[in-house]
Amino acid sequence: MSVRSARLAVPAVLADGRGLSGGMLRQLFIGQCLVLALHLAWMPAWLAGLALVVAGYRFVQLRRGLPRAGILLRLAAVGGLVLALWLQFGTLGSMDGLVGLLLGVYLLKLLETHDRRDARVVVVIGLVTTAVAFLHDQGIPMAAGALLAVAWLLQSLVWLSGASGRRQAWRETAWLLVLSAPLMALLFVSFPRLGPLWSMPQMDRAATGLTDTISPGDIAELSRSDARAFRARFEGREPTPDERYWRVYTLSHFDGTRWSRVTPDQLAATLGRPVDAFVEVGTRSPWQSHEGEHFNAELLLEPDSRPWRPSLGTPLESDSRQRYLADGTLEGLTPLSSRSLLKLASSAAPPANQDPAGARWNRLLPDDTNPRTRALAERLWRENGGDPDAYLAAMMARFGEAPYRYTLSPPRLFGDHRVDDFLFDSQAGYCTYYASAAAVMARMAGIPARVVAGFLGGERHPDGHFTVRDYDAHAWVEVWRNGAWRRLDPTAVIAPERIEQGPQAVDDGAEAFLADARFSPLHMREVGWANRLRLEWERLEYRWQRGVIGYQRESRRSLMAQLVSGWRATWAWLEARLPGSGVMATALGLMVVLVATAGLAWLARHGCQYRRRRRDVRWLVGRLQARLARRGLGARPGESPAAHLRRVAPWAGPAGRALNDCAQDLERLAYAPLEERERHQRRRRLAERVAEVRRRLPRQRHGSGGAGA
Amino acid sequence: MSVATVAPSGPRRHGRLRHWWLRRLAASIETPLPQRRLFLIPTRFGLGWAVLVVVLLLFGINYQNSLAYGLAFWLFSVGVVALLRGWLNLLGVIPGLRLPREAFAGGETRLGVVLKARRERTALELQCDGARGRVDIVDGQGDTELALPTPRRGVQVLPWLRLETRWPLGLVRVVAWVRHDAELLVWPQPREEDEPAVHHGGVGLEASDFAGLRRFQPGDSPGRVAWKQWSRTGVLATKVFSVPPRQQLWLDYDACRGDPERRLSVLCARVLAHHRAGDRYGLRLPGVTLAQGEGEAQRRRALDALARFPATGDKGDR
Repeated sequence: MSVRSARLAVPAVLADGRGLSGGMLRQLFIGQCLVLALHLAWMPAWLAGLALVVAGYRFVQLRRGLPRAGILLRLAAVGGLVLALWLQFGTLGSMDGLVGLLLGVYLLKLLETHDRRDARVVVVIGLVTTAVAFLHDQGIPMAAGALLAVAWLLQSLVWLSGASGRRQAWRETAWLLVLSAPLMALLFVSFPRLGPLWSMPQMDRAATGLTDTISPGDIAELSRSDARAFRARFEGREPTPDERYWRVYTLSHFDGTRWSRVTPDQLAATLGRPVDAFVEVGTRSPWQSHEGEHFNAELLLEPDSRPWRPSLGTPLESDSRQRYLADGTLEGLTPLSSRSLLKLASSAAPPANQDPAGARWNRLLPDDTNPRTRALAERLWRENGGDPDAYLAAMMARFGEAPYRYTLSPPRLFGDHRVDDFLFDSQAGYCTYYASAAAVMARMAGIPARVVAGFLGGERHPDGHFTVRDYDAHAWVEVWRNGAWRRLDPTAVIAPERIEQGPQAVDDGAEAFLADARFSPLHMREVGWANRLRLEWERLEYRWQRGVIGYQRESRRSLMAQLVSGWRATWAWLEARLPGSGVMATALGLMVVLVATAGLAWLARHGCQYRRRRRDVRWLVGRLQARLARRGLGARPGESPAAHLRRVAPWAGPAGRALNDCAQDLERLAYAPLEERERHQRRRRLAERVAEVRRRLPRQRHGSGGAGA
Repeated sequence: MSVATVAPSGPRRHGRLRHWWLRRLAASIETPLPQRRLFLIPTRFGLGWAVLVVVLLLFGINYQNSLAYGLAFWLFSVGVVALLRGWLNLLGVIPGLRLPREAFAGGETRLGVVLKARRERTALELQCDGARGRVDIVDGQGDTELALPTPRRGVQVLPWLRLETRWPLGLVRVVAWVRHDAELLVWPQPREEDEPAVHHGGVGLEASDFAGLRRFQPGDSPGRVAWKQWSRTGVLATKVFSVPPRQQLWLDYDACRGDPERRLSVLCARVLAHHRAGDRYGLRLPGVTLAQGEGEAQRRRALDALARFPATGDKGDR
């Protein structure tokens, strides 16, 4: 204590053993700032102001020696906080409001933090608040920020337990974190993952991705965003660009201006049939035959407020229970509140099952809309002699003809006959326009047809995973022909480069592409190094999300299975290699290995100890004296080591000179004020001399000159 | 401290059993604290930490949040490691006592505690009879002094020493009780007589006869340094003056008035005064006679005799 008190930094607790020092309050405040920084991107910015005001109040109070914040002031502060949150969110019941309340209370707690116990409470609230920040996001930056915050909070605790300097506090914190990391990893991997025990208020998430009604305008909005929809990795063959049609919804109801989705429940209610006829929960699709080529995809889905799940073509099988819809799409049981993994087998083709809603449902059209289109359809139908396939081919060919162009910023359409307006007047649009028009024309000819909303394409990363973003959203048509649904994509006729290279390849309306994401790194696609950097970061992020964040029940089960099979394989390998056979021999072999390892460890430890001791002069000389005593040259009572060595030197034969040197070095080391370098040298020389004595000392016992002589 | 005060317990069987049990609990002094004598007791904050880990785990489960799982596991592991490091912080510490040289009744004395260990140790807390101290062991050794109250004259058995540490996070308290046989001899509280019997500060009390030179020692008064000598030879020397014994006298118990403790206090004050004056004095107590003498040794002998004087009423009234 006396040694260290000279370089005491500001201690955490004042001399009275209770009150917190100003330094400790600063520590707590910095911890608050770090935790608040994790939230600030999602929470109102005035919380930072609140933190500053509270800290400023404490600062002035400490400086001027003002009394503590009274109960009235504290109550007023909490009341003000609640009011501000209510004004901000309109309610306190929402998740954002609750998180805001937690943050505010955490910040205000500094007002009444006076002793060690209060400070520890502040740190614990900080840890809880850090965990709550994971509701916003679980990416790498958040994890790194949280690690920093937790390290700081732990360091505050170390200060509170009596660290006496900054270096010591950080060293202890580092030890705690480093030593606990392996145990944490082990627990993380092996702890059983349970489903939610009870329902909790969830974060409000803006719905991203597709909407379930399509009217001109919707998907163009999506193309302005670079938000990630999902990521996918394939086991086995990867789909070619023209196979990457990710189906999400089918839109089967057309009211004259817009296509909309009809959920199984609505269908059942409309058609008066049980819901089971349209949806089934399970891990295998009951609607499809499971033959033919499969694509096995592992999807990393982004959180969304709706339970949609994309599938490449028709979903066939999944690793967890999902809702398989009769129209060949997939839904989750619940919306996703955080990123999660889904393994899905699917065919890259449209479904082959009849829609249980019936062919009539897929031919429904309002009679009194789009008369010009109806006339066109009748003309084409007549020209092709009533052959549906020829009619569809003619329709597609007509889209390919000149006046139609693909653009992301088409003129807006407002009339009641929008398909007429588009086909005959504006003649410019993107996938929704064309899909909508094609489906209407197919239904006009009596061919069952529906619009499919989903994604097309996706960016392939060098490590093999695909990223599908909002701007990859697409719409196309499926028609029922010859006992199967057939995909018709009018966009492919008008702008084949959209299919092959993605929406950024379309020149027309390029200003609309990523218009809302001006600072997106995707603008830098053309710059080589920046693009490589972006791809590398995305790869890292993907692996993080897939390996760590997506580590839930299924991945844990498969990892455990892998570990068990790995252990079995090792055991089998051992059994094959070790002599003898049977479990006994293997166990014995293992035991031998273990004993040998333990022996080696013991030897290593002993060696270390020996080396350390060799530097200790007294130990060295003590051993030498004991050796001399065994030879009958022991020390007399009260004789100093150096005197002893000198006295016995004449009787030690060839070792005599070395003994004298030893005695001299010993005395110099013990009494002379030597510099560190010389001391070191002498110590080494002494060790050498002692070894020399041991070498040269005569083996036989020496009767004369002994202790009693 | 309840444990320590019970340590020298009575001869009753229950007391003996308890005593035996307490001795099993306690480690002995001047030896490294062994594993089996260290006790881990969670603090309130430690229990709170356990609740925190459970809450974070439930949070992770209910929100299916991997990072919350990770944080819960990390805090749990940090708790485990903190427990281990706290235990290692106390394991192998060699406690030792440095008894105060003198202690007067009615005041307090400073009991030195010396802790040795090979590794560095941090924030070791000491407690002995209500006195607390804190030690860091740096470079193999750390020491502190505990202010012990000495209410009564006589032999004071010191309670056991309690060594504990909450390092590094305050989650657990690692406690060791150290038993020792140290006794403190508490001298009586000095009390001035109503009419002073010793007149000090008079003429001739100053040591004045020059007796020679001796080598300078740190602490010598600058006024006594032989500066002339220094300017000639460059060696610092101190002038020594012979002090003639001022008085030869006997301090008699029977000559004092009042109850025995009061008499002993008065005698104590007189011993101190005569020692300061450089007198030659002896001490007569009922049953004990200390021959005349002077100097530090005589003072110690006299005060020890006063401290050990049996406090039975009948002897004093004679």
